[in-house]
Amino acid sequence: MRIIIPIKQVPETSNVKMDPETGTMVREGVESIINPLDLYSIETGIRLKEKYGGEIIVVSMGPKKAEEALKEAIAMGCDDGVLLTDRFFAGSDTFATSYTISKAIEKLKPFDLILCGERATDGDTAQVGPGIASLLGLPLSTFTSKVEVEDGHIIANRLIEGGYEVLNLPMPALVTVVKEIADPRLPTLTGKLKAKKLEIKQWTAKDIEANPESLGLKGSPTRVVKTFSPKVTREGKVIEVKDENSLNQALDEILELLKEKAVI
Amino acid sequence: MKYNSITPQIVDELKQIVGERNVIYDDIEAMEAYSHDEVAEKHYAHMPDVVLKPTSAEQISKIVKLANKYKIPVTPRGAGSGLSGGAVPICGGIVLSVEKMNKILEIDTQNLMAVVEPGVVTNEINNVVKEYGLYYAGYPMSVETCYVGGNVAENAGGGKAIKYGVTARYIMGLEMVTPEGDIITLGGKRVKDVTGYNLLHLMVGSEGTLGIFTKIIVKLQPMPVATADLLVLFNSVKEAIDIVPIIMTNGKIIPTSIEFMDELSFKTSCEYLNEKLPYQSAKAMLLIELDGDNMDIIESQYETIGELCMQNGAIEVYVADNATTIERVWRIRRNVAEAWKLVSPHQSLEDIVVPISEIPTFMDRLAELQTKYNVSIPCYGHAGDGNLHVTPVKDPEWSLDKWYDTLNKLLPEMYKIVANLGGTISGEHGIGHKRKPYMPLVLKDTEIELMKRIKKAFDPNMILNPGKLFDID
Amino acid sequence: MKEIWIYAEARGGRVNEVAHELLTRALDLKEKLDNSIVSAVLIGHDIPDEDKQELIQRGADKLYYVDDPKLKDFLVEPYSKVLIQLVKEYTPEIIIAPATTQGRTLMPYTAVRLRTGLTADCTGLDIDEEGNLLQTRPAIGGNIMATIKTATRPQMSTVRPHSTRPAPIMDGQRQGEIINIKIQLTQEDLPTARLDFIKDETQGGTIQDADVIVSGGRGVGKADNFKIVYKLAELLGGAVGGSRDVVDRGWIGYPHQVGLSGKTVNPKLYIALGISGAIQHLAGMQTSDTIIAVNKDPDAQIFRVSDLGIVADVTELVPALIEKLEVAKSEV
Repeated sequence: MRIIIPIKQVPETSNVKMDPETGTMVREGVESIINPLDLYSIETGIRLKEKYGGEIIVVSMGPKKAEEALKEAIAMGCDDGVLLTDRFFAGSDTFATSYTISKAIEKLKPFDLILCGERATDGDTAQVGPGIASLLGLPLSTFTSKVEVEDGHIIANRLIEGGYEVLNLPMPALVTVVKEIADPRLPTLTGKLKAKKLEIKQWTAKDIEANPESLGLKGSPTRVVKTFSPKVTREGKVIEVKDENSLNQALDEILELLKEKAVI
Repeated sequence: MKYNSITPQIVDELKQIVGERNVIYDDIEAMEAYSHDEVAEKHYAHMPDVVLKPTSAEQISKIVKLANKYKIPVTPRGAGSGLSGGAVPICGGIVLSVEKMNKILEIDTQNLMAVVEPGVVTNEINNVVKEYGLYYAGYPMSVETCYVGGNVAENAGGGKAIKYGVTARYIMGLEMVTPEGDIITLGGKRVKDVTGYNLLHLMVGSEGTLGIFTKIIVKLQPMPVATADLLVLFNSVKEAIDIVPIIMTNGKIIPTSIEFMDELSFKTSCEYLNEKLPYQSAKAMLLIELDGDNMDIIESQYETIGELCMQNGAIEVYVADNATTIERVWRIRRNVAEAWKLVSPHQSLEDIVVPISEIPTFMDRLAELQTKYNVSIPCYGHAGDGNLHVTPVKDPEWSLDKWYDTLNKLLPEMYKIVANLGGTISGEHGIGHKRKPYMPLVLKDTEIELMKRIKKAFDPNMILNPGKLFDID
Repeated sequence: MKEIWIYAEARGGRVNEVAHELLTRALDLKEKLDNSIVSAVLIGHDIPDEDKQELIQRGADKLYYVDDPKLKDFLVEPYSKVLIQLVKEYTPEIIIAPATTQGRTLMPYTAVRLRTGLTADCTGLDIDEEGNLLQTRPAIGGNIMATIKTATRPQMSTVRPHSTRPAPIMDGQRQGEIINIKIQLTQEDLPTARLDFIKDETQGGTIQDADVIVSGGRGVGKADNFKIVYKLAELLGGAVGGSRDVVDRGWIGYPHQVGLSGKTVNPKLYIALGISGAIQHLAGMQTSDTIIAVNKDPDAQIFRVSDLGIVADVTELVPALIEKLEVAKSEV
């Protein structure tokens, strides 16, 4: 099996700090990591490779620094990496990103499967995976919690509202996965050494024969016109339970609120 | 030792000193929090008669003078995160909490030092000096809660001692109130000082028995910007421990920390965390951390160490060099205690130290003790400095009586093993009153006698934190 | 006439309630956009007339209904083909779809083929002076709100479910046009087969659809204690959620995870039990109508977003609350 896994390098946002004045994220000292949800697509790919053989190519669009993310994926068990890096790519929205990555994947043909993380934790759109599938004319399974391969087909469980849907997709296909699919492994020393030696290919807009009109900010139909800080603080009441009295007070307050909101 | 009890008149005098709102008296519920530290067992707790929250050295001086006058014991207290009962007022009297003395007074970037009050949360120092690219390295593991004053009193250590040493190395000066109520200054912003006995370092680790710190000068250093960790799985404890000196001698690298976990520790923690690393066949894990100012150097260091580990029989070496993976490997180590608390809330968190080379022998003897007493004893800690948190855990089926009875036999036997291997009974948690009975197992009578004489010289009325380290009649 | 489309999501042969929420959004936009009407697009098979009528009674001026046995269940490839064909023929100005698993699959698959922009998971929609759609959505884990415009047409967005109330039935007398459309689907349009559906039997249903969610975090203590979370949810008729931490620990399954790496939820009531409130969790639930939090730590971040905060041990407070609720129930 030849598997392609598009990944993204994102700022580590679990401890994100916001500048209260400007409402923007404090980028200084913020580490860049593999999009945490891409670890699941990487792990899924490696497990399929272990079972069926083949190779995995990870692809990322971003600055030179994004090479770190590709190397980490290779250290985990992927075989090769391609970095799409060009100033023409800057400012891409989900359309331009889907377009750019799909052009690169065309160049990597043939392949059997594309695996994507559910979404990236910074943009949080979940649109690039389906976008790539659509541009390449591939059948798609999103929110996938299990994949199996059966004579040239993918059997995928999709986690949707109310349960799991089982789909049968012909290959090549694109599958976006959720966290439930597999626990990602840690990179080993052997993997790290292998990744260190490997030269990551760098492709520009020209290399992937992309239409410049569809790239970067210029090729993006959407524009951010304003950003602002959400108001999250609520003037909530806080009751400290110290004894029987305050416990009863707390319970009464909860019950009152439940009645007010017509939950009981 | 006989002390007088606190009368309402004395409380009035104390209120005069610190102000009414800084006194807790006659309020059992509010005082309860000051009756114990993090040692779980209730019998190590004791209620104070009054809790004071002074805001200056002058107030503390007046309190201590008053205590000498009326012969009332004074127990100084930091955040109460201790693990030896050191801040517990076992003779009653006054608990003197430094919680309101919590200011960072000065960050001296010229001399690379900071002047802080004792009630500053240790982590807060690093949050503030980070802005200057600086770092305070003398901090233990419980950084989220503990106060720097408590760290100095206990000479706290933690996971990074192998490279950075323990708290003492970073204490340059102290302003303190003596047990008789005088305010003195020891040390200062001086890198060298051989003027007389080193009273400064006598204070560090004195467990609140020789003085109450009111200002602390700590040494800072440039902040390391690159970090990586190796999680290494071994087939045996011996293989894991054997690698420790090899890293430093053959590898010529001093890691920031080398944390050890035995099978009971990491398996319980991994199960608790649902961590599915293939650890099933492993018998020991090492977590090796490196830090520095350049990722390339760190990379070549972890390669060297990793290869040494593989050559010495490691099952697998995992590399964590970003926020996601570093958090994942440290989670295993950090959750050992919590995971075991779920198995049984009753455990005795011990803090022994043996020479690094004796760890495998000690682990063998520990296995014998587990069989002999039929007690699970997970063991984890700082392999890099031989400091192990041996933690006998009560079988949930056992009665408390049976548990304490067993512990009373098991602990002295274990401490004797430790002593015979050239070790000692506490590396970083301190003696307090929890380990007081075991001091004679590792110290000679002469040594204890000298300590008692020092105590008497400082504190003729036995006012300050009585009943800790040893008893004096 | 400018058409504002809503994608009326059907599930199991019925129009889902989330379509009525989209009508609220669309009616608001219609008011602000001159010379516009609201149309609903419904794709499926044998959808009852009452469901179609209801869309009109709740505000749709037009309904495009595409019926085909092959479209009985949602499959992205044929559904997208249908939607693209409709867009090409009727050139809507705006299309809004629910940010459900269906909407978040169909819309991106469709938008790139139409070479137009798509904004995900919006919580606010508006029209600017030039008549453009302003789409506001949270980003970076809910730390930033971004307002986005689309240069191309149609302007497409998915809208967070439960972020607005369903449009009410107006007077019961509204007349709307139902346009029945047949679209030829070949085998080539149907590469994927739906083999099965495995219903989630966990009590309270899925968190994305629930009006009430009772979520547990580390403060619940251990896996076994989750039974009190389930019990409370049952008494309140709610679904059960969990923080990333407890999902990672295996105390509850991933479908129940609320937060950045799980699901974003917007229930009427969210009860957070023993959840400290890491940013990644807050991002997934802070827009809930009402939030009640119980946590031992008085400084827990969760209290910053709570309407009512209780500083207490979950394992002590919740059983007492359950007892009270049971008493209250038996008195009714």
